[in-house]
Amino acid sequence: MIGMTMLDLRPRVAATTILERRELADGVILLTLHAPELADATQPGQYLMAIPPSGEAAATALAVYEAEGKRASILFFVTGKRTRELANLACGDQLDVVGPLGNGFDCSGDADDVAIVAGGVGIASVWLCARELLRRGAHVRLFYGARTAELLVETQRFADAGCELVLATDDGTRGERGFVTDALVGARKPEAIYACGPSPMLRRVGEIANGFGVRAQLSLEETFGCGVGGCWGCVVPLTNASAQAPNFPPAERGGSDVVYARICKEGPVFWAHELRW
Amino acid sequence: MVNPQPALAIKLGKLELAYPTLMGSGCYGSGEEFAPFVDLSKIGAIVLKSVTRLPRLGNPTPRLVQTPAGMLNAIGLQNPGIEWYLEHELHKYAGRPCKIVGSIAGFEIDDYAYVCERLAARDEIEAIELNVSCPNVAQEGETFGCDPDLTARVVEAARATTNKTLIVKLSPNVTDIVAVARQAENSGADALAVINTVRGMAIDVETWRPRLGNITGGLSGPAIRPIAVLAVYEIAQVVSIPIVGQGGIETLADALEFFLAGATAISIGTANFTDPRIPERLVAELQAYLTRRNIGSIQEIVGRAHVEIATAHQYEGDEG
Ligand SMILES: Cc1cc2nc3c(=O)[nH]c(=O)nc-3n(C[C@H](O)[C@H](O)[C@H](O)COP(=O)(O)OP(=O)(O)OC[C@H]3O[C@@H](n4cnc5c(N)ncnc54)[C@H](O)[C@@H]3O)c2cc1C
Ligand SMILES: Cc1cc2nc3c(=O)[nH]c(=O)nc-3n(C[C@H](O)[C@H](O)[C@H](O)COP(=O)(O)O)c2cc1C
Ligand code: FES
Repeated sequence: MIGMTMLDLRPRVAATTILERRELADGVILLTLHAPELADATQPGQYLMAIPPSGEAAATALAVYEAEGKRASILFFVTGKRTRELANLACGDQLDVVGPLGNGFDCSGDADDVAIVAGGVGIASVWLCARELLRRGAHVRLFYGARTAELLVETQRFADAGCELVLATDDGTRGERGFVTDALVGARKPEAIYACGPSPMLRRVGEIANGFGVRAQLSLEETFGCGVGGCWGCVVPLTNASAQAPNFPPAERGGSDVVYARICKEGPVFWAHELRW
Repeated sequence: MVNPQPALAIKLGKLELAYPTLMGSGCYGSGEEFAPFVDLSKIGAIVLKSVTRLPRLGNPTPRLVQTPAGMLNAIGLQNPGIEWYLEHELHKYAGRPCKIVGSIAGFEIDDYAYVCERLAARDEIEAIELNVSCPNVAQEGETFGCDPDLTARVVEAARATTNKTLIVKLSPNVTDIVAVARQAENSGADALAVINTVRGMAIDVETWRPRLGNITGGLSGPAIRPIAVLAVYEIAQVVSIPIVGQGGIETLADALEFFLAGATAISIGTANFTDPRIPERLVAELQAYLTRRNIGSIQEIVGRAHVEIATAHQYEGDEG
């Protein structure tokens, strides 16, 4: 969790079994895994690395969508070779994963009125966050946008749990037409913002949060290599003053005011006001 | 302590490894990142990320692109510089259950000597790898490792500063890698790492822009394996120092290819991104292979693929 010391919930390689496979929309897959240790240890906003059963590509970073009892799930869009391979798995198949990984959302604090902003598959990273915030009694507004109505998945789950939904689609087929961030700008000012989605959306959320004068936690995405902090391939520029800044000399010692932090290790969740992107 | 699996023990100069597996520089952090789910005592050595004299922010993003059977990377040697590194990083590596090899990159001959002297002086570091795939600012950015004489000067400069094992990591982006290998040996290298990544690029056809922030990058993974096997094979014929073979090693068969081509040890980089259990699995499989074939030591199979072409009707320089 950002702003807190890392909990000692060490990631591990877990052999999981697929319990359920649902196609939520064309090319949008929800896999529920039998993964007791993972489900137990996962904090909101954390992710796993799914090891390709074929062994023929790098592992894929995926948010842990739901974690309950002995079950954890992943929700993904089929965008390429690796997600296609995962989409082809069936009930009973084994899927090895490394996790849970990363520093997720800090859901503590006393904000009573919070906004969660999700774009596209970003919805997968925010369910555990919403659940946690609702549990501690916050009012949660979910601002959720996608290209088209069909791709606004799992809305019922959030509504049933008690979130107020504000939906938007690019083509206007459901909710407001346009970007979900446009809905956020005109909305009542929240006390805290949590967001996950494409980078342009997150940048906009950062600006809006700044305008509101509230803090925002953004869950970032980048092409991953190792997924565990070993390769420095997944970085984002951050102020060197951030508690999440990696070990790097400050400017007065020949270093820099801005440093690249690993999204997989220091993140994936960062404070919007500390990013320099 | 009794070595649990003497059949797999090897030596690179003075560096004695219980297993012939090194984790590739820049791919394995300091080992700490993988320690929660990998038994580091089943790894020969970790080669640390290359460190430079001055801090380096590294390249703009994206730094990685997945490509067929591999990936392109352009990290840009992000590191805090040698002073900060010695002060804040190195002590963490003490007491690791495997050997630690430091890696050095530089932009002037003097950089290599300076960083090598300081790094090799530390007990946490048991050997040094020289990454010579960097541009030489004094010579219009020509890559050190692309010129046999420049390579020789880097190796001599580093050699003068330490008696610890010196591994020179060769770039495949050259016309004659064998010539560079020979010069490295003559200049005092104890071992050669063969090969570093192969230059490449990928273009986003949606945006019409290069996919890497740095435009160009280094290709790794199975895509480069045949290039690496050939380099090991040819270099093994002309040098007598050990070779650490690398480039796309994932399976037992891949590893055996490198040993048979002439490598004394292997290095695993990108495969760790597919499955972090691969290094441990490889060691177990190598052990089982030797037992099954009744071979006493991995060293017995090194270079065993070397043969003469039986009927030399190929014309020179072209396998097509
Ligand atoms: C922390 C984290 C959490 C994540 N969580 C989720 C999640 O919960 N659900 C989810 O669906 N995804 C998630 N992702 C994203 C997912 O890891 C990536 O989409 C992954 O790359 C998919 O792999 P792939 O092989 O299927 O697609 P890739 O082949 O890697 O393609 C990924 C994207 O790149 C584009 N692309 C590929 N090749 C080219 C080309 N030649 N030119 C131009 N564009 C190209 C594709 O169109 C696609 O949009 C997460 C990522 C991170 C970092
Ligand atoms: C993300 C990444 C970072 C790397 N960084 C370095 C580096 O700092 N120094 C170096 O000598 N080699 C570096 N390499 C090269 C690897 O150590 C290795 O030689 C190469 O990738 C080929 O082996 P592989 O196919 O098993 O990965 C890097 C490779 C990758 C993929
Ligand atoms: S993906 Fe390797 S450091 Fe983040």
